[in-house]
Amino acid sequence: MATHKADVAIVGTGPGGYVAAIRCAQLGLSVIAVEDDRPGGVCLNWGCIPTKSLLRNAEVVHLVERAADFGITVGEVRADYAAAVKRSRGVADRMAKGVEFLFRKNKVTLLAGRGVLKTPTTVEVTGPAGVDTIEARAVILATGSEPKSLPGIAIDEERVLSSNGAVRQERRPASLVVIGAGAVGVEFADVYRAYGTEVTILEALPRLVPVEDEEVSAFLARIFGRRGITVKTGVKVNGVSPGGAGVVVETDAGKFEAEQVLMAVGRGARVKDVGLQAIGVAMERGFVRVSTKMETSVKGVYAVGDMARPPLLAHKAMAEGVVAAETIAGRDPRPIDYGNVPSCTYCRPQIASIGLSEARARENGRDVTIGKFPFTANGKAVALGETDGFVKVVADKATGEILGVHIVGPEATEMIHEFAVGRTLEATLEEIIHTIHAHPTLSEASLEATLAALGQAIHI
Amino acid sequence: MAVTKVVMPKLSEAMETGKIIRWIKKEGDRIQGGDILAEVETDKADVEMEAFGAGVLRKILVPAGEHAPVGALIGVIAEPGEDIASVLSSAPAPSAAPAAADPAAPAVAQPAAAGKMADRPPTVPPQPTSEGHAARQPSPATGPAAPAQHAPAAATAPAAIESRRAERAAAPVAAPSGGRVKASPLAKKIAAQSGVDLKVIHGSGPGGRIIRRDVEAAATAQPVTAPAPVTAGGPEFEDVPLSQMRAIIAKRMPLSKAPVPHFYVTSEVDMDRAWVLREELNALEGQPKLSPNDLVIRACALALMRHPGVNASFQGESIRVHRRAHIGIAVALDEGLITPVLRDGHAKSLAQIAVEARDLAERARARKLRANEMSGATFSISNLGMFDVAAFSAIINPPEGAILAVGSIRRVPVVDGDAVTVGRRMALTISCDHRVMDGAMAARFMQEVKRLLEEPLRLLV
Repeated sequence: MATHKADVAIVGTGPGGYVAAIRCAQLGLSVIAVEDDRPGGVCLNWGCIPTKSLLRNAEVVHLVERAADFGITVGEVRADYAAAVKRSRGVADRMAKGVEFLFRKNKVTLLAGRGVLKTPTTVEVTGPAGVDTIEARAVILATGSEPKSLPGIAIDEERVLSSNGAVRQERRPASLVVIGAGAVGVEFADVYRAYGTEVTILEALPRLVPVEDEEVSAFLARIFGRRGITVKTGVKVNGVSPGGAGVVVETDAGKFEAEQVLMAVGRGARVKDVGLQAIGVAMERGFVRVSTKMETSVKGVYAVGDMARPPLLAHKAMAEGVVAAETIAGRDPRPIDYGNVPSCTYCRPQIASIGLSEARARENGRDVTIGKFPFTANGKAVALGETDGFVKVVADKATGEILGVHIVGPEATEMIHEFAVGRTLEATLEEIIHTIHAHPTLSEASLEATLAALGQAIHI
Repeated sequence: MAVTKVVMPKLSEAMETGKIIRWIKKEGDRIQGGDILAEVETDKADVEMEAFGAGVLRKILVPAGEHAPVGALIGVIAEPGEDIASVLSSAPAPSAAPAAADPAAPAVAQPAAAGKMADRPPTVPPQPTSEGHAARQPSPATGPAAPAQHAPAAATAPAAIESRRAERAAAPVAAPSGGRVKASPLAKKIAAQSGVDLKVIHGSGPGGRIIRRDVEAAATAQPVTAPAPVTAGGPEFEDVPLSQMRAIIAKRMPLSKAPVPHFYVTSEVDMDRAWVLREELNALEGQPKLSPNDLVIRACALALMRHPGVNASFQGESIRVHRRAHIGIAVALDEGLITPVLRDGHAKSLAQIAVEARDLAERARARKLRANEMSGATFSISNLGMFDVAAFSAIINPPEGAILAVGSIRRVPVVDGDAVTVGRRMALTISCDHRVMDGAMAARFMQEVKRLLEEPLRLLV
């Protein structure tokens, strides 16, 4: 049993933890990071990164299937799902190694094991080699989150999968019921459907991707329907039991049978067995309560990422990691603007948004003007053969303030940042339209949607 | 290409001379409009002076550590091949500028420049811009030097016997006018729509950029160009190394204490409930932390609305009763004190007051206040609570009619029924101008302040 001393101890090395560790090290602090899995957390190992690899496979499958549209004749197409999963493991492995490299480069000590806060300045680490203790001036907790289930439904990762199981399993079910139509649900629905699985999505709320703008939800439902994905919204799931092809999902709208069920009803903060209660860290709606500087109710103890507060997004966690690190280093970082965090879903067509939906803006009493531009009228999108989708800009009528932007379509997740920067700088519609957009690009659709909000669209 | 004259900017209304702390650029450096040329010490703050013309800094006429009167040529920016001899010939001899025995000396020592300046109305140089505020004092709003600077610069251009370059010298001056306010596009639009003058707003964005929330805050508390405290006579410098701030304090305090007949009223306030309330408010997530002084500011602002006679200035033939409570908050500095003004305190919540007061105090300590943030108070508060002071009295800052001196919140034995317990008490002493108000009026005001602090929920509504 060894005792280590450091300026900062970090529990968890997902996007919040590893970014905090590197930033602390850059600012001259000694850092010990504790991890019971591989560095990189859910994001790199089991979430964002491997699923993007699988989605890329799905995209390639789709592209090959319509090779004839491009005048290309291909023979028999065989898409090996196990190979897609193996590829995704390779991608995840490479990214996790990248974090290990960055730790070495920045002289962050990685300690394998499970970290538990014993006092506000002591972390006990139970690892393969025994129990170690870290004494630190400050502690950053970044333990992340884990998939939730519905009451009475146990995730066994056999018949009832969570995203953790789905991302690992190399077999592809012949049929799948996805419970929950948020980002995780629609992304897995997309992947499995591309490989030929019969997919049914059940969503309790009235629409797909319920946090997005209503028009985006409606558009995605149309595209998914066209691709043979069954979408049932406003459906309440009562239970899951073995039977039929594998499982039977009982709902208030009848029974749905499939080989497997994917639970994608959201994630909950991982706050148990971290030692929060013992030292009196205050909670708020299941998350750790934090200040704008990411400090918990206990002085010197910080929390970042999924455990701290919604939204549960890796990029938000990274930003919080920086804020925590800079605060500990005695700087005065700018607090995070939680109203300006982009949200991205990587199904096809991609979805990206920032700010308020049209409905929310109106609920807030804003007098809004809406600009919309379809990719069917965008030269680059037509040349790519990717014309599904649109850009929608929600702006304040009087000032041109960009209240929200909603993009569904090709590379939507890359395009959203024009508006993210614009909103950070408090640009208005005028600044976007006076910015020359290169031709031909998908981003011209952003320009045109902005013009449309001012009644000045050219190409439609 | 034009020759651009660099002149000592007028950075506050009372400013007559400025001292070059240091030149950031040196002779031979290439300058772009907006570059910081030098740091200037005025009577109230150290400010950065921006360049408004482009070219090479050809000549520095007033070296670091020396003074120059407002409007005096202190440097020349021009292209390398340009002839600057005629400009230099109009310059003051550098040795004439620094602190001389008589404050009038700098002007006298440069007959050419002084003579020209005397031809014009003394402190309000015409501003050759299209913006229509020609008659107003230039107010330093962005990097404080910017807008203030081009006014005197423009003024000297026609004055300094320039022949063929006169009109061209003025060109780079007029061009950037109005464009120097660092504000987001959205902030500018909201300001235009709500009639807020961006030049009087402090930006809270990166690098002092004015962003939406700054304008929205200002829109709810419309700023005013408050009457400036007028001071007479030049500062008495002698050879004594007074800081500019010490000098102005030394100059102004006797102007208060001697002619203003002061009287004093002291009250003791039970702060037990205010203390508890403040702790509860400070425990709220996402709320700014309140200091006890924030409570006092709020209480005074509200009480002034109910007792406007205390919020008043002696005008010789009349008494000016202010309808708004602009509260001066005395901030102690190593070399003196400064009183930034929290405007429209009566219209601001405790949280707004807390944020604004802290910001003003921090910038006062960093000597980064704008000129307009240091004038226009209708009432002042001086708090020495942090120094464990039982009670004290303060000197009125004319033309204000009163100032409140705040002592420490002390735990003292208090009589509760027949028992002696421990309570928190704070002494408040108001100094009043007897020409404006009488004892009873001051006492009623103090009763109101006391009531607000002792029933502190009233501060929240």
